Amino acid sequence: MNVRKIVTVVEEVRAEGGRAVSPPATVAVVAAVIPNPWAGQGFVEDLGPGIDANASDLGALLAPAVLEGLGAPAQAYGKAAIVGLDGEIEHGSALIHTLAFGDHFRKAANATTLLPAVEKRGAAGAVFDIPLKHVTDATVRSHHQTVEVRIPDAPHPGEIVIALAAAAQGRPQQRLAAFPTERDRSA
Amino acid sequence: MQEMGDAPPVPPVRVRKLVTYRDEIVTEAGVAPDRPARRASVAAVVENPWSGAAPLADLGEEQERVGPVLAGLLCDRLVHALGPAHGIEAFGKAAIVGTAGEIEHAGALIHTPYFGNLVREALQGESIICFADARAEAGEPLVVPLWHKTHAATRSHYQTIGARIPDAPRADEIVVIAAASTGPRPHPRIGDRRTDPVVTAETLEGSPS
Repeated sequence: MNVRKIVTVVEEVRAEGGRAVSPPATVAVVAAVIPNPWAGQGFVEDLGPGIDANASDLGALLAPAVLEGLGAPAQAYGKAAIVGLDGEIEHGSALIHTLAFGDHFRKAANATTLLPAVEKRGAAGAVFDIPLKHVTDATVRSHHQTVEVRIPDAPHPGEIVIALAAAAQGRPQQRLAAFPTERDRSA
Repeated sequence: MQEMGDAPPVPPVRVRKLVTYRDEIVTEAGVAPDRPARRASVAAVVENPWSGAAPLADLGEEQERVGPVLAGLLCDRLVHALGPAHGIEAFGKAAIVGTAGEIEHAGALIHTPYFGNLVREALQGESIICFADARAEAGEPLVVPLWHKTHAATRSHYQTIGARIPDAPRADEIVVIAAASTGPRPHPRIGDRRTDPVVTAETLEGSPS
């Protein structure tokens, strides 16, 4: 796997709604920019060999990196695949929607739930939102959140950006879970 | 109640959000750099201290109050992202003022000793710090220039890094940015002042344009 670059983004929210957030709410993203394994091959029916050659390696690269960037245990997490303009969205999905990729993160984060994901096709500099949910209970509403990412020069048309996101807490100033009737309805 | 003679309390510097962006080039043009570098920008969102102030108001007092706090926060995170200051080779700075402010407000937070000197000191530099500024809506990407922290004319270290906060600056906020790199561009090969030929309009006369 020939990685072009690795991008780390760490957000610390210290105030929201005019009130302090203490400790700051932290979300980290680590993205790897890689060549699309199926670039220039036309329509590839069997994506299996490309998945086998890349998905596990990407998970092993990104999972410890995003937890290091976060600097705290992950309470919520998510993932992303942004395919350059010459590829199929299916190529991005192939790399992230496999246990070989996701299990690295689940194991490192002591997580059990499905990783929420964004997969889309875009030009270099495309803005994408990674959805995050709680790592052991995807119905914990306080932890539904989103982090926005943009890499100025990726993905090139023949590249894919693969990213993981982790949050050390729920939303800053989250205060929806206290409504028992709402909680019942959302079940 | 303030007693006569007491200095008024200094209001805290309210930083709404900090965003660190780091990139590590593993390969460029398919080839690993001889000297792999990490580059990072750190952006902080603060209330515009002069929001609602009279036109042409003096900026000095707030520069002194806000600048050092931002320099400290931003350099702390730069070092966290890139490693100790002795390994940092290039630096830069920038500010984006929200649409209700003046570009002069952006400059006021970065172009004074209360910010620039402290960034230079924290990153162990000597050069003037190169910069960018803008007035923009939230989410506007800014390209932050960097150059060598002790020898600004070192051409291999002319480089840039992006900085962007999706939801800042609001109209009455300012985003203040410090940025740095641990090395040169991935494959620098455009020479330097010491290797340049003498080029003037006269020496080029007769050569194809």
